[in-house]
Amino acid sequence: MGLLSDPEYGSVKWVKVLKKINFPLCCLCYVGSILWFFTLAHPEFNNETYFSENALLPGLVRNEFNGEHSANKFFNEFIQELEDKYEDSNEMPVDWLVAKMSQLSLEVYTHNFSLNYPFGQGQTYKGTNVYGILRAPRTSSLEALVVTAPYRSLSNHQKGTAAGIALMLAFAQFARPQNYWAKDIIFLITEHEQLGMQAWLEAYHGLQQETSTFYTSLGSFWQTGFDFGKPPQIFEWLMTDHSKSLDPGVLKGRSGSIQAAINLEFHTPKFKYIEVKVEGLNGQLPNLDLVNLAHKLCVLSDIHHSYQNSFTWLRSRNNIDEWVYSIGTMLKMSAAQVTGVPNGNHGLFLPFGIDAITLEGRELNDPAGDPPRAQYLSTRNFYLLGITLERVLRSLNNLLERFHQSYFFYMLAATNRYISIGQYMPSLCLLCGAMLTRALCLWVTIQQDEEIEKRQDEKDKGLKEKKSEEILENTEEKADSEEKEPLIKDVIKPKEDVINTKEDEIKTNEEVVMAKEDEINAKKAAIKAKNDEIETKNGADLNISIVNVGCNYFLVHILGYAANCSPEYFNYIGTTYFDQTPEASIFYGLIALSVFYLFVTPFAFRFPTFEDLSMTNILLLIELATACLAIGMHNFPLGLLIAVLYTPLALLVGVVGDDCRKRSAIVLFLKRILCIILQPLFVVSIALILYSWVLFPEEGVLSKMSRGRDATMQGVMFSVVDSVIYGNWLFQVVTMVIFPTWILFWQILCNRVTY
Amino acid sequence: MLNLRLLLFSVAFLSPILQIKGDDFKEEMFIKPLPPSHLYVYFQFLTLANGEESFEHSHLAPRSLGEIVSRYQVEELHLTLTEGQWKHNTWGYPVLDAAPGAELYAWFAPDVVDVDTQWKKLSSTLSGLFCASLNFIENMNTVSPKMALWPTGAYSKSHQNITSQLRYASLPREIVCTENLTPWKKLLPCESSHGFSSLLNSRMIHNTNYHSIGVHIRRMCSGSNCLDTSLEIKQTVALVYDFKILNTMDWSLRKLFGQGLPGACPLSSSSRIYVDITSNSSYPFKLLPEPNSIMFSHRGGSKTELAVYEINHSNMMNIGAKYEMRNKIFVNIPPPLTFNRYVLGYGKEFGGIVTELSNNYWAPIDVVLLENAPWWLPIQLSTLRINGEAESKLIMSQYYSPGRSRQKPYHLELLLKLPPKSTTTVTIDFEFVFLKWQEYPPDANHGFYVGSALLSANLPTAKNYTSLPITGSTFDSIVNASKPWYPIVFRTNGGMVSLPTPDFSMPYNVICLACTVVALAFGPLNNICTKEVVLKIIVVPVSLRQKIFNIFKKKKD
Repeated sequence: MGLLSDPEYGSVKWVKVLKKINFPLCCLCYVGSILWFFTLAHPEFNNETYFSENALLPGLVRNEFNGEHSANKFFNEFIQELEDKYEDSNEMPVDWLVAKMSQLSLEVYTHNFSLNYPFGQGQTYKGTNVYGILRAPRTSSLEALVVTAPYRSLSNHQKGTAAGIALMLAFAQFARPQNYWAKDIIFLITEHEQLGMQAWLEAYHGLQQETSTFYTSLGSFWQTGFDFGKPPQIFEWLMTDHSKSLDPGVLKGRSGSIQAAINLEFHTPKFKYIEVKVEGLNGQLPNLDLVNLAHKLCVLSDIHHSYQNSFTWLRSRNNIDEWVYSIGTMLKMSAAQVTGVPNGNHGLFLPFGIDAITLEGRELNDPAGDPPRAQYLSTRNFYLLGITLERVLRSLNNLLERFHQSYFFYMLAATNRYISIGQYMPSLCLLCGAMLTRALCLWVTIQQDEEIEKRQDEKDKGLKEKKSEEILENTEEKADSEEKEPLIKDVIKPKEDVINTKEDEIKTNEEVVMAKEDEINAKKAAIKAKNDEIETKNGADLNISIVNVGCNYFLVHILGYAANCSPEYFNYIGTTYFDQTPEASIFYGLIALSVFYLFVTPFAFRFPTFEDLSMTNILLLIELATACLAIGMHNFPLGLLIAVLYTPLALLVGVVGDDCRKRSAIVLFLKRILCIILQPLFVVSIALILYSWVLFPEEGVLSKMSRGRDATMQGVMFSVVDSVIYGNWLFQVVTMVIFPTWILFWQILCNRVTY
Repeated sequence: MLNLRLLLFSVAFLSPILQIKGDDFKEEMFIKPLPPSHLYVYFQFLTLANGEESFEHSHLAPRSLGEIVSRYQVEELHLTLTEGQWKHNTWGYPVLDAAPGAELYAWFAPDVVDVDTQWKKLSSTLSGLFCASLNFIENMNTVSPKMALWPTGAYSKSHQNITSQLRYASLPREIVCTENLTPWKKLLPCESSHGFSSLLNSRMIHNTNYHSIGVHIRRMCSGSNCLDTSLEIKQTVALVYDFKILNTMDWSLRKLFGQGLPGACPLSSSSRIYVDITSNSSYPFKLLPEPNSIMFSHRGGSKTELAVYEINHSNMMNIGAKYEMRNKIFVNIPPPLTFNRYVLGYGKEFGGIVTELSNNYWAPIDVVLLENAPWWLPIQLSTLRINGEAESKLIMSQYYSPGRSRQKPYHLELLLKLPPKSTTTVTIDFEFVFLKWQEYPPDANHGFYVGSALLSANLPTAKNYTSLPITGSTFDSIVNASKPWYPIVFRTNGGMVSLPTPDFSMPYNVICLACTVVALAFGPLNNICTKEVVLKIIVVPVSLRQKIFNIFKKKKD
C-alpha cells in the first residue's frame, strides 16, 4: 500500500495538521474564492482587451456605405407591407422578402422547417426562413459570413426587428456591386426566433430528421451492426424518440463553411445605443476577437455601445465606481450564462463552431431598462449603423483563418476589459479544493480509525510476547523510517530527519558484522509477522463494503437518470389523466418525484456502517468537485454557482453518529433543513419566487407566490424543452449530476450509525 | 509606329513562307450574355502545328510547349488555371469547364512505360513554364480516371488501354494571377501586342467574377483518312463579368477590357468574334456596330443565333451592346443537368460529402461521377449512399481505389443512370485525420481544400450546350452539328473542411511544456501514492574463504 493507504502515516505530522485545520482551511477557501471572484472586477485585476488576430485589420478601409436612404425606404415599405397584409397574422412576409432580395440580384432561397412539439398532443408548427446569398467574385464559395435578423410580427410582445431587416437589405444592395468580397455573404431572415435559426443551421450542416443521408451513414462508424428489430407495439409509445422533434428540412442553396455571423436586432432606425450580446447556448462565448471587433468599431463609428452593465458613456475616474459597475456586468453576464439559454440568435451558431454576436439597438424605455443618463444621448441612425456593419463585415472579410487567436473562455468586466480563464479559474478551483480537502480529511480519518483499532489489537496481543514484539516493531519502524525518509521529506521537519539519521547511525554502529545473521533472522520474522498481521487486518478490520457503497451509488445515479427521463412521462400522465397543461404536469410531476425521493432514498442504503457512509461521503465530494470543475471549464458561471451553493453543504455534511445529545440533534436538524433547501428544484423555486418578489413588489404575498410558482413552472418547462430541441444541457446537469449528489447528501444526513 | 511598319513589312514577307510550312493560327472570341446579370467572354487561340515531331524548329506554334510534348511523349494535355466557380445552374454550360485552382491531365504515348515519372517531369516543367505550383502534383494527389475522361484528339486505334496512360490532378488551393497570365500570353504568336490577346490585360480580367486560362493540346487528323496527325494547341481564356459590378448592363469591349480591339493579329489566318444573340428575343439588346453576318444553328433541339464579326488587320474597333429594357424579371430555367456539392457536418470527427445531381430532362442521363479525395480525408466505400440507400439500382458501374496515407488519394468512380426529372444524392462520409505537425500548411486554421468532383455526361440534348463538337476546332463547327449525344465534362464546386488543427501559438507551446512537467511529476507522485515498499532480504555476499570457513564452522557445531 502506498502513501494514501499506508497504515503508518496516520501519525505523520501533516495528517495531524490537516485534521486540525481542515475546517477553517475549507472555510477560508470558500471565502477566498468569493473574494477572488469579486476582486476580478477591479480594474487592477483584469486586462484591457486587444486584437489578437492581426488579419482583422479593423477600421482600415474607407467607408463607402451610402444606403441610408434606401434603408429608410426599405424600412417604410416593410412596415407598410406588414400593416397592410400581416397586421394580425404571425406569418412572415416571405414573398415580399424574396422579391426584394431577388431585385438585389442575390441568389434567393426559402427554407421550410417544422417542429413536432415534444410535449404537446402532436401539434406541429411550421415556419419558413428566407435567405439570399451574395456570391463573392473569384471564389468557389468555400467560405461564408452570415448576416441574420429574426422576423417578429407586429403583434409580437417583443421589440420588432424591422429596422434590422431593412438595414440588412440596404446593406445587401450596397454590397452586391462590390468587387472586394472574398467570402460569400448569406443574408438570412428567420422565423420563430431561435427555432428558425436552429432549423436553418441544422439543415445547413446536414442534420436531418429523416435519417436518410447523414446520420445513417455517419452511424456506420460507430454502429456495431446489431439490429434489434422492431419493438413490440406496447413499447412503441415508450420508445418514441423525441430527440428529433425539430425537422430542419432541406436547403436548396448553400455556400461554404461559415466563418462568422452577425445577428441584427433593431427595432427602429432611431436608436440611442447598441448592446452587444455574446452569451450563447450553454454559456458558450464567441471568440473574444469578434466581441472586441464589434466594440472597437462602434467606438470608431461614434456609436454608443454597452455590454450588460457597462455603458461606454459612463466612464468614471473613480476606481470604486468602476468596480461596482464591473461587478454588475460580471454578475449579469454570469446570470445570462448560467441558464445556458442564448440571449439572441447568435447563440445557436456557437455549438456549430461559428463565432457570432448580436447587435441590438436600444432606445429609451427599452424593456431591458434604461441605463443612467441614456436620455442625454443623441440618437443614432441608419447611416452610422450601416458604416459599422460595413466595417465589421470588411474586417471579417479580411480574415484568412477562422477565429482561433484570442480567448474562447473569458468574462467581460466592461466593454473593454476582460478576465481570461487563467484569472477566473482559481476562484472555482478554491471551492473545489475545499471539497477535495474535506474528502482527503475524511479519508485520513477512516484510515486513522482503523489504525487505532489495529494498534489496540496489537497491544492485546503484545502482552503475551512483549519482548519479541518490541524487536519486531523496532525493526519495522526502522525499515519504515528508512523508506519514508526520501518520500515525505516535505512533511517531516528537518530536525526530525537529523535525529532519525543520527539514531540510525548509532544503531548501525552498535550492530557489528557478527550480529548480522541474527538481524536477518529477525527481519525475516518481522516480515512474516507483518504479513500475517495484514492478512488478519484485511479479514477483520476493513468494514467498507464495496458492494454496498457501489450499489447505492449506482442506484442513486440511476434515480437521477430517471428524473432526467421523467418529464416525458409526467407530461403524458398529466395531460391524459389529469387534464393539465404540460408545464403544470411536468412541474408537479417533478415535485412528486422529489418528495418521493426525499422519503425513500434514505432507506436505499441498507445496513450502513460508519465506514460505508464515510466512503460514500468521500466519493460524493470527489464527484461534486470534479463535476463543478468540468462544468466550470465549459460554462464557468454555472460551475461556480453550483460550487458556491453546494460547498457549504459539502463541508457541513458528515456521517451522523448514534449518540443523541441535544445539541448535536439541533445541529443535525439544521443541517437537514439546509440540505432540503438546497434541493435543486427547491432552489430554483425559491430563486424565482424571490425574483418575482423583486419584479412585482406591489402585489400581495399570495399572488407573488403564485407568480413565482408560474415562473418556476415556465422555467422548468423551458429548460426541458431547450434540452430537447437545442441541446441545452442545464436540465441534464441538474438531474443527472446535482440531483444524485444531493440524494447522497440526504442519505448521509438521514442515516445514523454507530462508530 | 516604326515598329508597326517593320512588323507589317516582315509579315508581308513571311506569310508566304508560313503558308508553305503549314502552321496555322486562328483567333476567336465568343461572347454570350448570361441573363439576367452576367456576361461570358471566351477567347480561343488555335495553333495548328504541321511541322516535324521533334520541334527543333517551330513557326507559329510555341516551341516551349512543343518541346514538352515531344520530349515527354504527351499525346494530349489539358491545363487550366482558374479562379472562381462556374455556376452551371444559372449560367448554363461553358465551352470548356475548369476546376477552381489548377487542373492538369494528360495522356502519354502508348510506348511510355514509366508514366508516373514522366508525369512528374511534365508537371514540374509546366510549373516552371506557367509559374504555377504544379510541382506540387505528386502521386499523392494524382489519379487515373477509369471512366470519366476520354481523349478528344486522334488516338491510335491499336492501343486499347488508354486509361493507363492518363493522369489527372487538381490543386484547388492554387491562386491564379498575373504571373500565370504573362507566360501564357508569351506562347501566342502575336504575344499581347496585336490581336485579341492585346485585350487580355490583367488589370481588367482579374477583376471579373470568374476567370480561367487554359492550354489544351491534342492531335488532329491531317487528312480525311487520318493517316497522319498534326498537333493542335488551343489556348483559351474564359471570363465572366458581372453587370452589377460593371454597374451597367450595356457592355462593350472598351468597358470590359479597358480598351478597344486594335485589329486582328497579323499572323492569324482568321480572326472572328461571335456574339450569341439568342437571348436577344427575351432580353432585347442592340449590337453596335452591326455584325458582318448572322449564323443560325439548329443543334440538338435548341436554336442558336450567332452574330459574326470578321476582324481586319488594322483598324481599332469597339463592339458593344445596348440593352433596351432594364430590370426585367428573369425566370431562370435550369439546364438539363445541374449539380451541387457540399460538405456536411460540424466538429472535428466526422463529415460527409454530398453531391446532388439533378436531371431536369425528360429522359434518363448517364453520368460518370469521379470523387477524388485527398489522403487526409479518408472516404469509405461502406458509407456510400445513393439517395440514402446503400444498394442502389442507379449504379451501373463502380470503381473504387482506396487511398494510402501520404501516398495515394481516394478515388471513387460511379457510372450512374439518373432517372428523368429527379435529383440523386450521392453521400459519402469521411473521418478527419490528424496530420503530422509539419504537414499543416501555413495558416492552418484557414481550412483544407477538397477538390472538385468530375462529372462527365453524355447529354441527350444540346440545350445550354456551347461546347464545340469533338471533331471541330473553331466556332463554325457548331452550326447544325446535331449528334445523338453531346459529351461534356463538368467540375463541381469544391469544399473546405477544417481538420483538427493544433494551436500553433505561444500558449500551445506553454501547454505542451506544462503537460510535460505534469507528466514528469506524475510518475513519482503515482509511485508514492500507490506503491508499497517491501523489505528486501539483503544477502551479504560471502567470500569463498568465508564459505569454506563456514563449512568447517558447521562441522564443528
